[in-house]
Amino acid sequence: MERAAQQAVPLGQMEVFQALQRLHMTIFSQSVSPCGKFLAAGNNYGQIAIFSLSAALSSEAKEESKKPMVTFHAHDGPVYSMVSTDRHLLSAGDGEVKAWLWAEILKKGCKELWRRQPPYRTSLEVPEINALLLVPKENLLILAGGDCQLHAMDLETGTFMWALRGHTDYIHCLALRERSPEVLSGGEDGAVRLWDLRTAKEVQTIEVYKHEECSRPHNGRWIGCLATDSDWMVCGGGPALTLWHLRSSTPTTVFPMRAPQKHVTFYQDLILSAGQGRCVNQWQLSGELKAQVPGSSPGLLSLSLNQQPAAPECKVLTAAGNSCRVDVFTNLGYRAFSLSF
Amino acid sequence: MSSESSKKRKPKVIRSDGAPAEGKRTRSDTEQEGKYYSEEAEVDLRDPGRDYELYKYTCQELQRLMAEIQDLKSRGGKDAAVEIEDRRIQSCVHFMTLKKLNRLAHIRLKKGRDQTHEAKQKVDAYHLQLQNLLYEVMHLQKEITKCLEFKSKHEEIDLVSLEEFYKEAPPDISKAEVTMGDPHQQTLARLDWELEQRKRLAEKYRECLSNKEKILKEIEVKKEYLSSLQPRLNSIMQASLPVQEYLFMPFDQAHKQYETARHLPPPLYVLFVQATAYGQACAHRKSSQPPRQDKMLSVAIEGSVDEAKALFKPPEDSQDDESDSDAEEEQTTKRRRPTLGVQLDDKRKEMLKRHPLSVLLDLKCKDGSALHLTFYYLMNLNIMTVKAKVTTAAELTTPISAGDLLSPDSVLSCLYPGDHGKKTPNPANQYQFDKVGILTLRDYVLDLGHPYLWVQKLGGLHFPKEQPQHTVITDHSLSASHMETTMKLLKTRVQSRLALHKQFASLEHGIVPVTSDCHYLFPAKVVSRLVKWVTIAHEDYTELHFTKDIVEAGLAGDTNLYYMALVERGTAKLQAAVVLNPGYSSIPPIFQLCLNWKGEKTNNNDDNIRAMESEVNVCYKELCGPRPGHQLLTNQLQRLCVLLDVYLETESHDDSVEGPKEFPQEKMCLRLFRGPSRIKPFKYNHPQGFFSHR
Repeated sequence: MERAAQQAVPLGQMEVFQALQRLHMTIFSQSVSPCGKFLAAGNNYGQIAIFSLSAALSSEAKEESKKPMVTFHAHDGPVYSMVSTDRHLLSAGDGEVKAWLWAEILKKGCKELWRRQPPYRTSLEVPEINALLLVPKENLLILAGGDCQLHAMDLETGTFMWALRGHTDYIHCLALRERSPEVLSGGEDGAVRLWDLRTAKEVQTIEVYKHEECSRPHNGRWIGCLATDSDWMVCGGGPALTLWHLRSSTPTTVFPMRAPQKHVTFYQDLILSAGQGRCVNQWQLSGELKAQVPGSSPGLLSLSLNQQPAAPECKVLTAAGNSCRVDVFTNLGYRAFSLSF
Repeated sequence: MSSESSKKRKPKVIRSDGAPAEGKRTRSDTEQEGKYYSEEAEVDLRDPGRDYELYKYTCQELQRLMAEIQDLKSRGGKDAAVEIEDRRIQSCVHFMTLKKLNRLAHIRLKKGRDQTHEAKQKVDAYHLQLQNLLYEVMHLQKEITKCLEFKSKHEEIDLVSLEEFYKEAPPDISKAEVTMGDPHQQTLARLDWELEQRKRLAEKYRECLSNKEKILKEIEVKKEYLSSLQPRLNSIMQASLPVQEYLFMPFDQAHKQYETARHLPPPLYVLFVQATAYGQACAHRKSSQPPRQDKMLSVAIEGSVDEAKALFKPPEDSQDDESDSDAEEEQTTKRRRPTLGVQLDDKRKEMLKRHPLSVLLDLKCKDGSALHLTFYYLMNLNIMTVKAKVTTAAELTTPISAGDLLSPDSVLSCLYPGDHGKKTPNPANQYQFDKVGILTLRDYVLDLGHPYLWVQKLGGLHFPKEQPQHTVITDHSLSASHMETTMKLLKTRVQSRLALHKQFASLEHGIVPVTSDCHYLFPAKVVSRLVKWVTIAHEDYTELHFTKDIVEAGLAGDTNLYYMALVERGTAKLQAAVVLNPGYSSIPPIFQLCLNWKGEKTNNNDDNIRAMESEVNVCYKELCGPRPGHQLLTNQLQRLCVLLDVYLETESHDDSVEGPKEFPQEKMCLRLFRGPSRIKPFKYNHPQGFFSHR
């Protein structure tokens, strides 16, 4: 590495600026296209890059295929969250949610289809949107973020139907309990709240930081990540990563991970989590660390499991965070390569 | 018969003697006057034929008489004698006749002869006449052929064509009705026309000649006037010199300089011309102002002109010398090994020889500081080098950390990206170096000056690059002319270096100088303080544990300058490793941070440290301040102090720990955290004075 630096050609103004931009890039969000062959990644400069997973994974992959096939400027602020419907890519960050047609993006014509702003109270600062959640059955999009509320938007009409208030600080993450239509939200105030979508009422509140098993006061109360699987919920952040039994609201397993976690997800009988630190962690439900697979970024913010049935060859885990690279894990134990902005 | 004999006698008398015949005549004048006849006249009357008959008859008679006499004699008798006598008388008569006939024959012969002679004379005269006439004929014939062969001069004359002649010639010359059928007359008429035309042209020619004469005279007069002007102008020039000096318009000096410039080697000449032109163009740009002494760019030539002139003479077989010395070297390697080094040394010196003339370029800034550039030309390497020196208006106290900022070695380093001036730009030089054992030009640049690429370009020297260019050049540098760009770059370089020089002096004393026009960028109260500002070596920088990213990204080349800043607030110590690109301030300094407070925090383990780095490194444009942005470094440092304040004051308080917070929140913040990374509100909003998120 030392040698490479010596050989490097000294750069001009533009190149230095570009290098600095890449160096300070954070990729906040990822979303896989409905066909499963493409991956969208949004960074802190408001850009969205589209990578072709199928090209990068093919046997004749070159260096260029690990670069974005198209990059476009989507938002003025960071792109904190993205989801894909069967036709659209929805991205959100600086208080607005924008929709892009996947079909058009892949043809490299990146014009926004529509944009919506949830009804905010006036403030000096526009609240950000940290999380987007699709409720396919009701054709709803739930947005949550800086204004401590959950906004529900009807995807059919584009109107905001209702807002759920309860959090006292901004909301980090959302999760959907599919069987009973309930939404979980975790926020900076340290609480995980369950909301019933049918009645639009708060059902349950778990104040994680108040439980001694998982509380870590020096890290703060905030809940950075959340995932749920029927009766089980796993959440982490300031407090330790903990598996909860929802019906009894008791912490079942506290996972021994010091660094605050930023993303967690259930995968088969495993829990995958990532956060501060280079590794993607794989946990048994019992609390044992099954594996730690190192990635290329010093800190990870999002994991994305490509489980689209349309593209079984592109079934990969991608992880992104505090770098301009998206690590691609072809199986859970091995980082194959990195896609790069 | 008797008559015949009388006749015969008379002529005989006359003829026999002249004088007695006279006497006889006088004597017989009276009696013989009427009876005189001349035998000549008798000849005419007698017939020669009858005379011949007579002759024959006489001869026969004689023969008979003779024969009778003989007969008589032979018989001899007495009567014979009488008879013989008779016979003898008869014979005598016959003899007389014969004599007469003889005379007549003679006369006749003579007469014939005379007649023949006469006729011959006549024939001769006729013959002569004939000859004369023949000669005359021949002569005349000759004359005739001569005339026939005579070539008239008019055939050589190029005449106008017939049609043209009939079209143009006036009828009194062409006389169409006469000349149409008669080629001779026609030719004559055409010749007449030709003559007419020639006369006219001759007239014209004469006119033109006189015109020319006139104009020549005029020119002469004007020339005289102009030549009389020269000394007057000279005297005016002479007289104006003090005025020129007084008004700082050194026209004369410039003229002299151009004279000297002729002896410059081509690259330096190109540079000289371009630089002078650019300097003048700059002066013209502000022609509204009176001409000032502190011209932005002044060009001068230094060195000995005589030496340069000497160079123009053909060198004395340098090629031979070389090969000779090579051979000699081979011979003497064994014997004179110790001197080999000296020889090589001489060769090196010869190879690195500079042209005796150099071009001096003074680039002045508004604040009185100046950049003195001396351009040299290495004749044998065919490259140009430059030595730089910066002078300032006021004496500067040199801060320790500013050591390299204005050093001639580095002040112009990387004026264009990658142009560090340590390697020769001419690929051919490497082979020359190999010959004399020079490894790289790097060891000689201090002495020779730096062979920057832009210097070669200013001198019009173009060398192929070692590797294909893959760095992108911005449109700006492409479109602007090279001289202008370079001069501007040089100026900004000097100004930014001088600005840095000043700033470093106060940075070393822990003061971050923030100019009044940049105050709006920062809150009034900044608690964190800069406590240390030192220069560090490139190697030390690369060994720091928190600078790995920068080194890996190739942003830490050895041409950069490296510094370490320490910002403190209470127990928190923030280390900042700074890379100062030679292209400052268009290329921003790069900060890498390491906070020592409740453990060591770097961009690897703390998103907010990362965000702080991004604030100073990526969002540097808002920190540039007024153009040309020389305040960037100090503003970045001040910003760093503010960021540290924000970082410390917004750190979440651990409820479980007893006692007051070390850093009470004094800054007004809308929200403490935002986004998945929980970034603190680092952005300062000027008039309201609160902090928000970017």
